[in-house]
Amino acid sequence: MKGVDSNRPETADTGRRSFIWKMGAGMSAVVASATAVGSSAGADDAALRAALLEEEKELRRLHQQFQEAVDRGRYDEVVALFTADAEVRFNGGIFRGRGQGVSRFFREHLPSRKAGTSMPAAPGFELEAAQRLDQVEVAADRWSATAVFPYSIQAGMPLESQSSLASMARLHGEGVRTWWEGGHYRVRYVKDDAGRWKIARLEYDTRVRADWRVGRSYAVSIEVPRLSVPYPRDAQGPDALA
Amino acid sequence: MRPMRIPMHRYEYTRLTRQQIGEKLRATEAGPTCASGFTNVLAGRTLKIVTKDGGPVLEYRFGTDRRLTLRENGRQVNVGYGELALNNIVFFSHMIPAEQKGYNVFIDQGTNLATVFEVWFSSGIKQNAGRPNEFTLDDREAQRQIWFGYVDTGKPAPENLHHYTNRICGKGLYWKQDTGIETLELYASVANTNFVELTRHADQLSWVAPSDYVLVDDRHFLYDRTECELSGIHTCFAADLYDLKQVGVRLGFNERDELEYYMFRGAGRVVGQLAYLEPFDEHGKVPMFAASAGGQPPAKGARVAYRPVRTFRKMTDEEVHEAAERRTVTFGVAGSEDVAPQVAMSGNNLPFSDILVGKTFTVRLDDGPVRDYRVSDKFRLQFRDRRDNVWHEVEYRCYEGDTNLAWFSHIIPGSRPRASVQVAVDFTNGLATSIESHMGTPYYGNETTYRALFGVVEMEGIEAPLYLRHHFTDELVGHAWSWTYSDQMTSMHLYTSPHSMSWTIFTANQTMGSQWCSPCIYVKLRPGVYLFCQCEEACNGAQMVELINTNISHDCGFSFNGGERGVTLGVVGAIGRHIGKFDIAHFYGPRKREDV
Repeated sequence: MKGVDSNRPETADTGRRSFIWKMGAGMSAVVASATAVGSSAGADDAALRAALLEEEKELRRLHQQFQEAVDRGRYDEVVALFTADAEVRFNGGIFRGRGQGVSRFFREHLPSRKAGTSMPAAPGFELEAAQRLDQVEVAADRWSATAVFPYSIQAGMPLESQSSLASMARLHGEGVRTWWEGGHYRVRYVKDDAGRWKIARLEYDTRVRADWRVGRSYAVSIEVPRLSVPYPRDAQGPDALA
Repeated sequence: MRPMRIPMHRYEYTRLTRQQIGEKLRATEAGPTCASGFTNVLAGRTLKIVTKDGGPVLEYRFGTDRRLTLRENGRQVNVGYGELALNNIVFFSHMIPAEQKGYNVFIDQGTNLATVFEVWFSSGIKQNAGRPNEFTLDDREAQRQIWFGYVDTGKPAPENLHHYTNRICGKGLYWKQDTGIETLELYASVANTNFVELTRHADQLSWVAPSDYVLVDDRHFLYDRTECELSGIHTCFAADLYDLKQVGVRLGFNERDELEYYMFRGAGRVVGQLAYLEPFDEHGKVPMFAASAGGQPPAKGARVAYRPVRTFRKMTDEEVHEAAERRTVTFGVAGSEDVAPQVAMSGNNLPFSDILVGKTFTVRLDDGPVRDYRVSDKFRLQFRDRRDNVWHEVEYRCYEGDTNLAWFSHIIPGSRPRASVQVAVDFTNGLATSIESHMGTPYYGNETTYRALFGVVEMEGIEAPLYLRHHFTDELVGHAWSWTYSDQMTSMHLYTSPHSMSWTIFTANQTMGSQWCSPCIYVKLRPGVYLFCQCEEACNGAQMVELINTNISHDCGFSFNGGERGVTLGVVGAIGRHIGKFDIAHFYGPRKREDV
């Protein structure tokens, strides 16, 4: 698949109309919205199962809050959802630390690229229901969890042009090449000392990118370069390259 | 009064200080003047105007001596004012003594809705605050903030107020004021105006000013523009599009630093309408400066104003030539250096042509150079200028801009200042036109100079004409074309006058937004086929020269510019859409003047 790490077990056919994600054998039985509650903990008593389900609901609410805050540009709220030593992995870059890299990612990196906000999937690239991984696993001790949620977002990259056209476009927030990305958030959660869930690690596991924006009748698969210039050389760049 | 000869974008306006401005504004305490007499709708009345969104509450008492008393925030002032009525709209203007601010107030007496334009000088507003390119706006630049409200009559506050609009976008009007001043105003953006001072300036060039458009009703609109980066003068009026009348005010300091504060009546004529390309359910009620603020409320006075000179470092001729000697890039070929392709500006370019391959010909320019060409390759050619009689081999790029019409460009090696030529050779008609370009203007080194030379092509089998030539034309004047250079970059060109143009950037939903302008030339090659050449003067100094073929709605051409990173000759091309036309060509040209 173009533009996506080819070392991963999953691959996708990015053809326009025949887009099918090909899961590895271990993933093929996953049902959309399935929740593997406590399976790793071997929980067998009803009270624990009920508690784990409550935790799962809480984590789903947390994820909804996260996406809504990103969509509405409430970056202070977004950053506050992370642990102090959290990391975010995005397009080959690793942003570390809530007060540093994670803050830079949400407050500067994404907005400067008009990226991160939800948008409909590009036509011909929509996931079938069985392909939309949506699962939460809560550890039996209920202090950590992992989750996978689908995403469909806008992403972008500032035009490097020094032309007056680009400068003028930047005056009203344009001058950015945008596209659509689909994939999965892979999230690790931990509880803080007060028992509140926080995001310890967030990975944008991008599966497909298409040159498309709302209103256009067609979409084509594209490649985009991975992040290659770390902070501080790139003032909005990652702390490290993956 | 003699018209201003130095173009506004070249004029060195004085940096008036706050103190100087304060002294000049003392004259406003008597109120504005008006050449055709004021109206007296408000004399003897009291009004309380309430505005929304943190705006002021203004309590007025109008005397019969053209003075008013304003109570605002517990303070009371008495000052002269002017008033003009237009149908149901009554417009009055006054300043506040010693505060360098004032109000232009429009009241719709039919609805009791009011829109208040607060205006002020010496703003101290910082742009790019906290960044290395921070600067403070000139004190002479009038600032404005529009407050929507109503006249408090004791009844419940109205829910629907006047509002911003895109309904004026694309319209063009000719106005003649009671002062005798004539202006073409082309409202090609929701945030700017192209205006041509037909009587105040010698060259009839167009300039751009940030603007606001407010809808009163289907017949009336309110408007302002501020000549940012130029004199800073503010013009504000109400217009009636049924009867094509206006009443307004002009406030600020002209090129002689004189205060202009007068009200005017005007009569107009619609000169055309461009298509506006935003979605049909987009009504432009949210001003562009708010839409760009990333969710944050815009600061008071915010507007979309392109200020290219503020971040531009002027270089000397010597500095530019040293840079050119270090690095001259032709079509992305720069020796050892990696050069980013100009995809954003050429993704939709016409393909390069091999029309010259195998040809030997001479371009003989009238009273200009004579150049012999030998071409055996699609990207490299040999030429000599008969003045030095030395053959050079250079990179070139060529398009076939129309049938049997070659359009090519190359650098002049070893030139000082660094020069290039863009040559149209019509092998059918035996004609040639060369745009001769070089770095440097009388103003600074990193700005380009160009001129068109007309002549013929001599080649076996061609009978070059003796008298017929390509020629300058005004056939494009008034037309607007969008040019989509790539899926990431579209600009609308508006050919505003025989010697100038503007370009407008679209927002994400194709609303037309920020604008700037430049002088330019137009050359007719064939019916529907033109050369267009402009330098972004007092901007980034870059030249664009395009062959426009209206038959295929495409342009193709070249860019030429220089700076600290050297000199670059590149390619530019776009697919176009004809957006419309203003019927304005007849306004231009020498005319009899009663005032000279």
